[in-house]
Amino acid sequence: MLVSRTLLVTFGLALSVGWVGSAAAYHTRFVADNCNYAAPTPTSVITRDGSAAVALRARYEGYQWAGGCWNDNDRDDSPGDPTTDAGTGGEGGDCSGFAFKVWRESLDTSDSSFQQWGMLRYVHGPYTAAAFKAGSGAPNVTVSKSALIKMDALASDGHIGLVYAVNPDGTDQIIEAKGEAYGTNIWTRTYRGSSSYSGVRRTGWSS
Amino acid sequence: MRRGKSLHLRLALPLLGLVIGCAAGVASVALGPAAAQRTGPEQRAVFDATHLPPLLTMPDERAELAYDVYCAAGDDEGAEAGCDVRGAVFVRRAGRGSFERLALSSQKSNGGSGQLAARVPNSLASQSGGFEYYAELKAPDLGERVTIPAGGADAPHTSRPLENPVDIALGRHSFGGVRRVGVRLALAAWGDGPAQAGLEQGRQLGAIGPSAFDVDAAGTVSVLDQAHRRLLRWRKGAREPIRVPLSIAGTIADLAVGNDGSTYVLESTAEPGRNALVRRFDDAGRELEAIETAERTSSQIRMAQDGALVLGHRSHHWMPVTVGGVPASPEVQLRRGRDGRSLRTGGEIVLFRHANELRVAMISGRSMTRSWRLTSATPLAEVQLAEPIEQRLVLVVRMYDDDVDEFAVLTVDRSGLVDQFTLDAADWAETAPLSRFRLVGKSLYRLGSTPAGAFVDRFDLEVR
Repeated sequence: MLVSRTLLVTFGLALSVGWVGSAAAYHTRFVADNCNYAAPTPTSVITRDGSAAVALRARYEGYQWAGGCWNDNDRDDSPGDPTTDAGTGGEGGDCSGFAFKVWRESLDTSDSSFQQWGMLRYVHGPYTAAAFKAGSGAPNVTVSKSALIKMDALASDGHIGLVYAVNPDGTDQIIEAKGEAYGTNIWTRTYRGSSSYSGVRRTGWSS
Repeated sequence: MRRGKSLHLRLALPLLGLVIGCAAGVASVALGPAAAQRTGPEQRAVFDATHLPPLLTMPDERAELAYDVYCAAGDDEGAEAGCDVRGAVFVRRAGRGSFERLALSSQKSNGGSGQLAARVPNSLASQSGGFEYYAELKAPDLGERVTIPAGGADAPHTSRPLENPVDIALGRHSFGGVRRVGVRLALAAWGDGPAQAGLEQGRQLGAIGPSAFDVDAAGTVSVLDQAHRRLLRWRKGAREPIRVPLSIAGTIADLAVGNDGSTYVLESTAEPGRNALVRRFDDAGRELEAIETAERTSSQIRMAQDGALVLGHRSHHWMPVTVGGVPASPEVQLRRGRDGRSLRTGGEIVLFRHANELRVAMISGRSMTRSWRLTSATPLAEVQLAEPIEQRLVLVVRMYDDDVDEFAVLTVDRSGLVDQFTLDAADWAETAPLSRFRLVGKSLYRLGSTPAGAFVDRFDLEVR
């Protein structure tokens, strides 16, 4: 009786210690287990509709600061990642990494060609939200916000979202990687009117 | 000898337990999530559609119904391939007869995803009461289909012609023009103190502050401090808020306070595979109900005569979350969707912003009782508020150009524009999209923010 109780208690305590001690490493697993570093596929015909399809595949997936790899199972596989650590290896892009992959841009900022990245390719790209806002990089230009159409973007110094549709009340449906607590999804936003945001366009669409 | 054996056993057993336990603990963490994460690409078909319903039209406009369709099978490499999408709209004279099928035709030569459209025959489009319609779109190869609006024949869109609207030309907006000073009712610095308001994501990563507020008939101001999962409630004349803890997600949410003192919170995030919830709390913050909304995303919650309404998208429909005081299932919500928002005072209001033009109609039953058409040489963004006061209508619209924005408060009646003033944007922190203004009685309330904190101001409108 004493033997089994002792074994049980120490087992239980040790189980807890082992779990707590290893939990910190949990959020490093998604990228390590799922993502790849494959080369992108150059492609000549790129449409706004095709980019919308790429964006929709990321819908309901996670958000990872400085990240850029997600699967398509409609859930955040690494919820609750610490938001202050860019290296936790969790699922999802951040806002600018998401825009980079959806706009199918090159890692070379002087290259405006289209590069198809797989959703499991771990890549963030060279642009921050502020860089997109400024129209940095060969493929990107700033445009008047009133001229924005679907899959153009609204970018501030800290965030970027892509225009998905317009609502009758003058708001926009924005598809975006919003934050760790939000993941990637479509929400109604008022970025267009806000002076914090500028209009940005990826150039070179086929249609 | 026996004693020595027993001592060894007493030492060995805990050690054995420790080793096995640690190993099991580590394994449960390392293998459990890994197994859960190794879900494979699971690249499913993509199928979605959007539609901007022409809710209010002018006589000279073509009645064309267009649907942007996004469709892809396979992986990201196949995003450009599109797929075979077909569909039809079903149209009838508003409130009468059976629906007539009109095939949607592709606006793209490849016949795949892209835009599908149909033109409504003049015989229907020219009807004085307008026409009703819904669309069914499908991708046969993928086994996917969607109905827009989601309530189909039970809750179609209604496209109404504006007959003799009050025309108001706003001209070019002068930013920094006429301002009105409000009365500050509530002020909360950023922080985690008892009377402070929280910032989601901090200051650097897109500051998100109190995401909504409301004011009840007694003048009590309730601010949703979602980062701290609580309400900050200022009774009329109080300088310090009362704190009411709420069991909410802690992300951007909209807020409405009912006549019975209930607080409704519309969440913007949801559990995987579910839609966002509307949570109802009593005055003390006890959760009374949690009702799942019907659509993939909802942008507003407002009170009508008999309960709370949620504006859902992609349908762009206002849907009741309760019917007869009982929580409504998502299916019931969809079947009761309407283009216009039912007002606490009765009737409903329909909005349609089209480029630099805003069209507004007051509806009673199936009749349009009043309508306005406001045109502007300056771009118009969102309509933050549209509420009647007696025979007048108060509109709060964001005017913008690429460098500046502010809110125009416009009071209109049957004769035209009777009062206007502007307010600075005061939107340092993000809120729920349409939660910056409320109208109670003859006072307009505004939730604003600066780098120092959040505040609520009151502006007494000059309505005679």
